[in-house]
Amino acid sequence: MITLLIVDDSPIARQILKKCLPKEDNYSIIEACNGQEALEKFRQFRPEITFMDMTMPVMDGFQAIAEIKKLDPQAIIIAATADVQKKAKQRIADLGALMHLPKPASPKAVRDALAKAEQALREQI
Amino acid sequence: MADVQFSNLEKDILQELMNIGFGQAAADLAQVIDLSIELSVPDIQLFKASDLRDHIANEVDSETEFSLVEQYFLGKFKGIALLVFPAKAGKQLVSLFGLQDQRNAPSERLELLEKEAMIEVGNILIGACVGKITELLNDVVIYSPPRVMIQDVCNSTLPKNLFDPDSMAISMKTVFHFEQQEISGQLFLIANHESISWLKTALHAFMEQYE
Repeated sequence: MITLLIVDDSPIARQILKKCLPKEDNYSIIEACNGQEALEKFRQFRPEITFMDMTMPVMDGFQAIAEIKKLDPQAIIIAATADVQKKAKQRIADLGALMHLPKPASPKAVRDALAKAEQALREQI
Repeated sequence: MADVQFSNLEKDILQELMNIGFGQAAADLAQVIDLSIELSVPDIQLFKASDLRDHIANEVDSETEFSLVEQYFLGKFKGIALLVFPAKAGKQLVSLFGLQDQRNAPSERLELLEKEAMIEVGNILIGACVGKITELLNDVVIYSPPRVMIQDVCNSTLPKNLFDPDSMAISMKTVFHFEQQEISGQLFLIANHESISWLKTALHAFMEQYE
């Protein structure tokens, strides 16, 4: 079973993302509400795929991605964010995130993102 | 005073919609000025319409003169958008629009350019933010022309034809900062009592698709 870490300060955004996951697939889901908590959960559970919001209190997603990449350079991170500015997308790519998923998520967009993430996982093996 | 309850769930949904709406607005503005805009987590508060002065005074630096872009939006979602900048930001906004060659222009011309720059920023941020929120809630709004005021915060009041002073209003605030510039601003969307009832229903309808 694939473990997903969903990081967002908004419980609504986490709920939307969870509801957009493919029904037929079985994921183990862990949640965190800021970048700091995401780091702790990442260390503890080593999720295969992380969905990361960017605008969060305590530690934002940009810093969290950088920290997670220090722990595991191969970590697969999908930036799920309302920040759709070109420079934010570039910064996310520069940090080594797999892709940018604009909010609000849709089932098709989440399915496509997971397919890309699972492909990246297979290529690591 | 007509009392309005807003549950934590409803506040959370609204906060996320404001986050999405302002994210879109920032992207639209960033395309025009070629600068990135740092976003913050939106803040949702209910307050009495007659307390607007106190509400905004608590949120801005009361020592500083500020510029206010004001624009009404009218639909099922109805209210007023207030974009607040320090007054000195006008000059910086003019340069962001590539008009720095006008800095030696007569002071009346410069003042006009600063107002035009603020109106343009207000048009883009307010239009995109309100537009995205109402799109997600299946509403369409029309806008009044924006107007700019340079003033002291204590002069701000909500128009009585839109806001019953005794009713509750809801404030959605986001703070933003322009990358590599000393310009920060705040955007308030203030929905009137009438639209709060609609808003509560619309928020639940929005979430139903994810339940």
